[in-house]
Amino acid sequence: MAVSRSAVANAVSAGGAEYAPVEMRAAQEKMDRANRAMGKEDFEDARKLAEEAQADARLAEKKAQAAKAQKAASVTQDDIRVLREEINRK
Amino acid sequence: MKKNHRLLPISLIAAAVLAGCSTMPASDSLLAQARNDYSNAQSNPQVTSLAAGELRQASDSLDKANNASNKGENRGVVDHLAYVAKQQVAIAQETARQKAAELEVANASAERDRVRLDARTREADSAQRSAEFSRRQAEASQRDAEASQRQSQASQRDAEASQRQSQASQRSAEYSQRQSEASQRSAEASQREAVVQQQAATDAQLSAQSAHQRTQDAEGRSRLLEAQLREMQAKKTDRGMVVTLGDVLFDTDRAQLKSGGMRNVQKLADFFKQYPERRLMIEGFTDSTGTMSHNQDLSNERAQSVRTALLGMGVSTDRITSRGYGEAYPAAGNDTAAGRQRNRRVEIVVSDDSGNISPR
Repeated sequence: MAVSRSAVANAVSAGGAEYAPVEMRAAQEKMDRANRAMGKEDFEDARKLAEEAQADARLAEKKAQAAKAQKAASVTQDDIRVLREEINRK
Repeated sequence: MKKNHRLLPISLIAAAVLAGCSTMPASDSLLAQARNDYSNAQSNPQVTSLAAGELRQASDSLDKANNASNKGENRGVVDHLAYVAKQQVAIAQETARQKAAELEVANASAERDRVRLDARTREADSAQRSAEFSRRQAEASQRDAEASQRQSQASQRDAEASQRQSQASQRSAEYSQRQSEASQRSAEASQREAVVQQQAATDAQLSAQSAHQRTQDAEGRSRLLEAQLREMQAKKTDRGMVVTLGDVLFDTDRAQLKSGGMRNVQKLADFFKQYPERRLMIEGFTDSTGTMSHNQDLSNERAQSVRTALLGMGVSTDRITSRGYGEAYPAAGNDTAAGRQRNRRVEIVVSDDSGNISPR
């Protein structure tokens, strides 16, 4: 549960809500359900939900990181293009 | 859902045994999706190379799901494991995308650096070409400068030669000038001498003119004097001009001058005022009638009377001397009345212009 909560928190701070809203919502919903299952002492359900929430959260985090990396790559390519144009203009 | 899951296992096992994956029932579609996704991921070299760890985790999870499915675990367990495996495959794919992008960024940075380097290299080449061009220009300029210098040196040698010639000419000119100056000094000296001589000549001429003038003046004055004396009926004698005052100008046998005599004496006085250098000798004479002493006295008194009259008219004393000669020096014979009248007289002898009178 603790590992899952940590994974959800990491996903939020990585920008999961922006870049992977579906996975992020699923992770948070499952976390809620896992907590409720814990409350009902339905530990088996809680474990499964927590594991799934953790997978969703990590996916959300990775999607966010990948999107950012691609954005950075795109920016860099633009930089190079501008640089080439600049040089050719000389 | 849970009820349905619990009803499915028998048919699921049957389907798995009979037809394998492809004929799995709908509830197995989650596991099928996971398998399908995993298969796609594994065939993607980007994922296998860049997200090997993640893909292995996904593989483990899929094995678990497959095992659970093969063991006939309940639907919830299989679906759960299949879902986790499916998500892990997705994670592996996203990880690969992320790393590929990061690599791209890294490569792009390298590319950017390379482009910049190329640019700098081109700039450097260009600068070097420019420097080379400048160097060649500088060399050309240097060659020009050297040529100019050689020309300049040649010109300087010419100039020096000219200067030497010029100096020689100048020395010659200076020598000529010194000679010329010497000649000029000589000429000036001669000229000064000539001026002096001319001045002397002028002075001499002036002196001569002055002397001549004085001579002319003296001659003129003498002529004028003679004319005036002639007017007074003066006679020119060996002793000089002589004015005679006749007997008629005196009272008979007396020394007193008559008014007519006084007028004649006045003319004499005026005349002698004009010629201050002249002196007078007044001489009295008688005829032979009467005693000699009486005649001597009368001649003295008459001469003295004329002298007194002249002095009274402003003629100075030292210029006049007087004396009586009595019967001596007769001007005519005493045997006739006319002769005796001529002998009774007073003669006034005028000196020369030096004041000299020859004595009798």
